Amino acid sequence: MEKQALSKLFIRLFGVVVIALVVWRVVTVGIAEGYPTSFWISQGINGLVLGGVYALVALGYTLVYGILFMINFAHGEVMMIGGITGFFALQFAAAQGWMEGSTAVVVAALLFILIMGMLGSVVTGVTLERLAYRPLRRAPRLVPLISAIGASLFLQYSVLLIFGVSPHSYRKPDLISGGIRTGDVFIPYTGLIIFFASVFLMLGLYLIIQRTKLGRAMRAVAEDKDTAALMGVNVDAVIVATFVLGSALAGAAGVMLGFHNTVVKFNSGFIPGLKAFTAAVLGGIGNIPGAMFGSLILGMIEALGPSALGIPTEYKDIIAFSVLVLILIFRPSGIFGEILSEKKA
Amino acid sequence: MAALLEAKGVTKVFGGLTAVDAVDLVIERGSIASLIGPNGAGKTTFFNCMTGLYRPEKGSIHFDGHSLVGQRSDQIIGLGIARTYQNIRLFKGMTVLENVLVGQHVRMKASPLGAVFRSPFQQAEERQAKEFAQELLEFVGLGGEGETLSTNLPYGDQRLLEIARAIGSRPQLLLLDEPAAGMNPRETEEMIDLVHRLRDVKGITVFLIEHDMKVVMNISENITVLDYGKKIAEGKPAEVRANPRVVEAYLGPGVLVDTSGGLEKKGEKL
Amino acid sequence: MRKTFNIGLIAFAILTYLTLIGLPTRLAGATQPVLAVLLALFVYAVLRGPARETGMGLGQLLQHGLLIGLVAGLLLVVEVGFFNSLLGDGVKIQPVFDQIVPLNMAAMLNVRAGTVLNGEVSPIAYAILALYLALAGVAGGLLVHFTRSGAAGSMRGVHIPGTRWFTILLPFALFAFIYYLGLDGVTTFGNDKNIIRLLLVLMATGSGLFALRAAHAGLEQLIIGALLAVVLLCLPFVLNQFQNSVMNIVFIFVMMGLGLNIVVGYAGLLDLGYVAFFAIGAYVYAFVSAPFSSPYISALLTGMGISPQSPLLGYWSAIPLAMLTAAIGGVLLGIPVLRLRGDYLAIVTLGFGEIIRLFMLNLGDLTNGPRGLLQIAQPTLFGVAPAALTTHLDAQGWIFLLAILGSAVVAFVAIRLNDSRLGRAWVAMREDEDVAQATGIHLVQTKLLAFAIGATFAGLAGQLYAARQVNIFPENFSLFVSIDALALIIVGGMGSIPGVVLGALALKGLPEVLRGVDEYRIVTFAVLLIVMMIVRPEGILPSARRRRELHSEDAELPVDEDEQLEGGHA
Repeated sequence: MEKQALSKLFIRLFGVVVIALVVWRVVTVGIAEGYPTSFWISQGINGLVLGGVYALVALGYTLVYGILFMINFAHGEVMMIGGITGFFALQFAAAQGWMEGSTAVVVAALLFILIMGMLGSVVTGVTLERLAYRPLRRAPRLVPLISAIGASLFLQYSVLLIFGVSPHSYRKPDLISGGIRTGDVFIPYTGLIIFFASVFLMLGLYLIIQRTKLGRAMRAVAEDKDTAALMGVNVDAVIVATFVLGSALAGAAGVMLGFHNTVVKFNSGFIPGLKAFTAAVLGGIGNIPGAMFGSLILGMIEALGPSALGIPTEYKDIIAFSVLVLILIFRPSGIFGEILSEKKA
Repeated sequence: MAALLEAKGVTKVFGGLTAVDAVDLVIERGSIASLIGPNGAGKTTFFNCMTGLYRPEKGSIHFDGHSLVGQRSDQIIGLGIARTYQNIRLFKGMTVLENVLVGQHVRMKASPLGAVFRSPFQQAEERQAKEFAQELLEFVGLGGEGETLSTNLPYGDQRLLEIARAIGSRPQLLLLDEPAAGMNPRETEEMIDLVHRLRDVKGITVFLIEHDMKVVMNISENITVLDYGKKIAEGKPAEVRANPRVVEAYLGPGVLVDTSGGLEKKGEKL
Repeated sequence: MRKTFNIGLIAFAILTYLTLIGLPTRLAGATQPVLAVLLALFVYAVLRGPARETGMGLGQLLQHGLLIGLVAGLLLVVEVGFFNSLLGDGVKIQPVFDQIVPLNMAAMLNVRAGTVLNGEVSPIAYAILALYLALAGVAGGLLVHFTRSGAAGSMRGVHIPGTRWFTILLPFALFAFIYYLGLDGVTTFGNDKNIIRLLLVLMATGSGLFALRAAHAGLEQLIIGALLAVVLLCLPFVLNQFQNSVMNIVFIFVMMGLGLNIVVGYAGLLDLGYVAFFAIGAYVYAFVSAPFSSPYISALLTGMGISPQSPLLGYWSAIPLAMLTAAIGGVLLGIPVLRLRGDYLAIVTLGFGEIIRLFMLNLGDLTNGPRGLLQIAQPTLFGVAPAALTTHLDAQGWIFLLAILGSAVVAFVAIRLNDSRLGRAWVAMREDEDVAQATGIHLVQTKLLAFAIGATFAGLAGQLYAARQVNIFPENFSLFVSIDALALIIVGGMGSIPGVVLGALALKGLPEVLRGVDEYRIVTFAVLLIVMMIVRPEGILPSARRRRELHSEDAELPVDEDEQLEGGHA
């Protein structure tokens, strides 16, 4: 008669078996391959960097989802536009000779590029909200999702048509092109910058949400739009502000990824966007700390997983998605659950 | 009369709050019984424990020889307990008739393959189901509304449709969660009449949650009172009405009891 | 006035966008009239609503139209002039804006490219462009005025006699025209006549759906349906290979759409990884019919005492295998996601779709990796290739015929299921899972049945797709197949079977007609998708149920005015 308990037990047992298998595999591979510690450290740092980028993008998904309960499928493209804008800002800065100036000038130029990229993304994100999402606010869930898919395709192929097919290559200034080498471990400067900039930006976001009037209004709107409106919160303005924040973070990610990968293309936002969304779901969509931790976990899994399991790196996406599926089987609303939106479940 | 349902020590905890606290309860076969109590007393939670939506931490519920604890809600309706909801939950995009057809789901057997090939069995079953649905709609007074979209029904009729959907599963026990809420006096009268007919014509045992004391006192043969999750009284309407603990739970301490005309406070009739 | 000015700015932004993507180059001499028509339509679209609400007079309409046209036109002229002066000074703009080249700007002004390079464009050319756009604004205003007075009487409830019969007879007229054209034996690829005929075929098939809807239920509908089926089945024999290859992909996607419709439209399970089952169907058929022999499969066969040969199974005998494997795939992928709600389900299924594709790409021993599986066997008719029987049916036409039959079978099953105990359970589950369960619906079973049946249909479609392609590669099964399938059921009308057909015609057929402006296919599609969601989210041919839902939930949605398509017999 205790069927529910039985199925729960079965799921637990299944979980234990999976974990045991993974551990066994990792241990046997670890013994067989015998990678040096420095290898693991390098890979771990790669994972942190990747996780930082994912986190910046994932926060945009989570913010929008927390407030509108819609998947902004075009968010990866918002990030890509930031990268493209950053590229042109870099061209401009290089033409002015700023990239060869003193350290202070180069740092100022890099900040300028970052801010331009964020601006490009913000303009895109806000326009998107106004044109493609706002008219659909009261429609059933699938409708804005389809609109977002349309927006994603539109942005990708418009960039292709307007700026051409050839990839846009970021040229790193000398200041950030090297890296730190300690023993066998090499850390590129761009990686360091990405990680610390991500942490810094996320901290800023956290403070905005927890400490400011805007943050309070955002939480109120997430809780209940109608009540918030009755209490005098301008819901439209809060939603726009959400898109501004999310897009700005995505723009920063776009620029930094541009420097890190040295190339931006019309479709270079798609896969990172998908991954970031996965990370947001992993942590519990709508949940801000969840998105950060989900991203770090996903980044680490992608960087370390293939080597630890002794399989080719082409399978890293498979590992990432498998982890997502496994975690959702055991915790159907992500690792940390949906905090912002649990009332709407 | 024999007990159709027997609950012993049912306890449901949410976080630190004990919503239902060691409640014992017996529902006699063929009776009309009520569950009353102030808001937040745990009445709907108890319903949810009975229908498998919640799983009580402690206690047992036996229905017609089966234990209900740990069963899924689709299994429980199969055993013969159907229910309605406090905040009406119809299938909004479906017509009135379709809602009642879904209600019969658990009593129908045709397989998907039968549906694709329109087997004679499936066709006969569909026909019977439609006839039965029409019969039930007429029983609750919605005979002419079969093709109406369920959301377009007036509020009172939506409650009636919920009842028709519930009895589509041919239950032995029907749980009604505030069936007369939001109804005008005339509709309330009709609802009282319907509850009587459910028992007398259809032979269904009825257990209901209700705030309207006129309804409760009029139709219940047995009343159970919950307060803060605990059972504080039970018995015949007159006994419950005279019970000082019940009065206290409803009105706070120190209110006079007028046993002849029901409970009254500042002209506000309960 | 201020608002009108802002609309003018939006029009200018759109024109700038069209310039930046290089449309003028493609349109060459016709740029200015085309831009004017587009602007007029835009003005019509934005002024129509306000005109109806406020009862604007003709004079006001013209004023507003003119203002929009002037703002957009003058700003565009200034912009073009600015670009031209840069180009004239020898500044290279192309590294930033790929399409801002003399050729494009010259096409915009209808002058020779040399005059732009030399900075010799006459002011008159600019004036003409501005004039065109200003007049276009006025024309848009006029259009609002005339459609308004015409429509007020006829479209609102007043029945025009003959409309219904016109709707019913239109597809037959179109088909008759196609058959007439079919006799001239045009078979070359890509020429204009070819494309126009394809457009006619799409329109004829699409209008058939409206005819079916306009017909009275019962005998009339039955007769019209039967006649339409006959003309449709004759199509593969008269179309050329190119047209057949477009039409068969349309109908393969009809099969897919009908399957996904069960999962998403009926059961409400948002599946973004539907391509997985399509891929399973295709690869299973490829395994048993392509010469590439995987060591695993050979070993398996030898183990079972069957000598590996090629093809192992024919098309028809592989059908149950493809369907069964896809159904098992559906159940296996369905089990882990049973507890997930909407958006989680979407991302996990999307992940599954990607996992399957990555496996196909990387499991080289089994799938031959990115090199794909080649020379997949063609379906036969009792062991004979149809091409041997008749010269009128080419290979693609034969696939088209099979796709029509497959779609018919799948549609039949879907209709029967929808109108059954299971169909009602799906809808109940979509609307309220808890209540559905408390009403006795076994959620696990019902969900898995939706996944399995949807997957079966996709498997069937995938098998036919493999036969059509002859060679299949992992990149044939990207996320975009899932998105296409989802988009087509939404554009057509969720939960509606005619909607699926119409959606497939519009999304898989029309883009082929637009091959000439290939680069703009996807952006056009994307814009249409967004506009569609805003204007008519229930799709073009919604099911009655979905239409009621969307319009009772949300009174703010615009009321559609296409009722006349149904001849007033809603």
